[in-house]
Amino acid sequence: MTVAPPGPSAAEGDRFTKTGGEGGPGHRGARDGLFPPLRGLLPLIVVLLGWQLAAARLPPYFPPPTEWAQGLVELARDGLLLPAATATVVTFCVGLTAATVLGTLFGLAVGASSTVDRGLRPTLESARAMPPAAVVPIATLLFGFTATMKVVVVTSAAIWSILLNTRSGVRQLHPVLLDMSRSLRLNRRDQVRKVILPALWPSIFLGVRVAAPVALVITLLVEILTQVDGVGALIAISQRNYKFAQGFGLILVAGLFSLLVNALVSTLQAYVVMRHRPPR
Amino acid sequence: MGVFRRVNGLGLLTMIVLLGLWEVLVRSGALDFQNLPAPSAVAARAQDLVASGELLVNLLHTVRVTLLGWLIASVVGVGLGLVLGLWRPAWRWSMASLEMLRAVPPISLVPLALFVFGFSVRTELTLIIYASSWPVLINTIEGVRTVEQELHDVARMLRLSQVKTLRKIVLPAALPSVVVGLQLSLSLALVLAVVAELVGNPSGLGNGLILAQLALRPEQVFVYVFTIGLLGIVLNAAFRQVAARAFGPAIRGQGGAP
Repeated sequence: MTVAPPGPSAAEGDRFTKTGGEGGPGHRGARDGLFPPLRGLLPLIVVLLGWQLAAARLPPYFPPPTEWAQGLVELARDGLLLPAATATVVTFCVGLTAATVLGTLFGLAVGASSTVDRGLRPTLESARAMPPAAVVPIATLLFGFTATMKVVVVTSAAIWSILLNTRSGVRQLHPVLLDMSRSLRLNRRDQVRKVILPALWPSIFLGVRVAAPVALVITLLVEILTQVDGVGALIAISQRNYKFAQGFGLILVAGLFSLLVNALVSTLQAYVVMRHRPPR
Repeated sequence: MGVFRRVNGLGLLTMIVLLGLWEVLVRSGALDFQNLPAPSAVAARAQDLVASGELLVNLLHTVRVTLLGWLIASVVGVGLGLVLGLWRPAWRWSMASLEMLRAVPPISLVPLALFVFGFSVRTELTLIIYASSWPVLINTIEGVRTVEQELHDVARMLRLSQVKTLRKIVLPAALPSVVVGLQLSLSLALVLAVVAELVGNPSGLGNGLILAQLALRPEQVFVYVFTIGLLGIVLNAAFRQVAARAFGPAIRGQGGAP
């Protein structure tokens, strides 16, 4: 997941997508297809059924699955669910967007100039090693318990894969591209806008693909830790108030968000990579 | 990690300049954050905390729990991963369930774990083990499953027994992926340790951090945050050293040291 371990390697993207569950090229299980067969859901169904049947004998903090939905309905009726979900989605989107913009800018800077790269590397490396959970208290010190604080934490955690992928993307730019823009006498702005950025999209999106699940997890993390607002805050509050069914319902919502984000970035990335095949 | 391999004078200079800038801006009052301490204040506070032994006690607790949880998670992840990666029916009949379970962010289970296990080290260990098993598990499965067909052909051609194929062909080929998984898990274990200590466990660096925050001592918060960051760097560097020493050329160029 996440929470990037140090080590500035060009293979950053690969390293993370390795945990993505889809086989790379040369996948031996090609016969089984990229996605595991649906019959593999059976154990999960069995466990949930068993849970449901044994519910009477389980402690109250493990309510049966049928009650999870009821918990969610309760939350929705009290008008808590929708605002929380909105807050989470907004924090996630703003944080990821900020991370993409900043990560691309920094990535361009450190990718284009080895002096800038060398100058910033120790600082960036140490910043990257910081577990996001430890960033939360600092962010609350500086920004208080606010939406800004949430976005800052999410951005600071999600930026790294984008930055590193952009950097290696810039390094691998084909020299012909730069020669071409020079012979076309493009000015700096047009060169970046028309030549460099289009060639970099696949790298940037690879970074975003890794960053998106991170951003979601960190959004939940900061919400659980600070309980400002959002689904994470509701999870923490419901457990504290002994509303276990609501808690499980919300955990389910978090899982759904995560599936949704994964599906979205995979689709988006497949599209981008197809549209912007880098020149060889 | 470039920082350790050669001295990057320019990089160190940048860092020192940035710290100096921070100091000057805070002292002159140009930075308008209520709770931002100057680096000198943080350093002074760090000295106190080291002298009193508080920092060391918390550090040792976090290191111990992180490593213990990570070791257990590694054994579980590699073991289960080998079964699921090698035995097709097991993969077919359970991988979809695992993918669904994996979608649930472990972070969202923190409040539940806190309730079930209370404010204890059990909460911390359980969270670490659960969360950091995933990267090892997934990477082991993928590593074993993506062993190239040619290698299997070689094994068949050499008429290796199944055990020998496993030991001489499959495991070495899967090793780089497993090592990457182990490394991801280690970082994750530290994150979960800090989270668990922040919300519940009454010891460790995360706990020191939250106490400093509640006591409104910003310098102390920064001391703990820097310590945690440093610990992350040290654990990761140590892992690289050990992995390079233990597996050597087998993992070079594949997610090991860049």
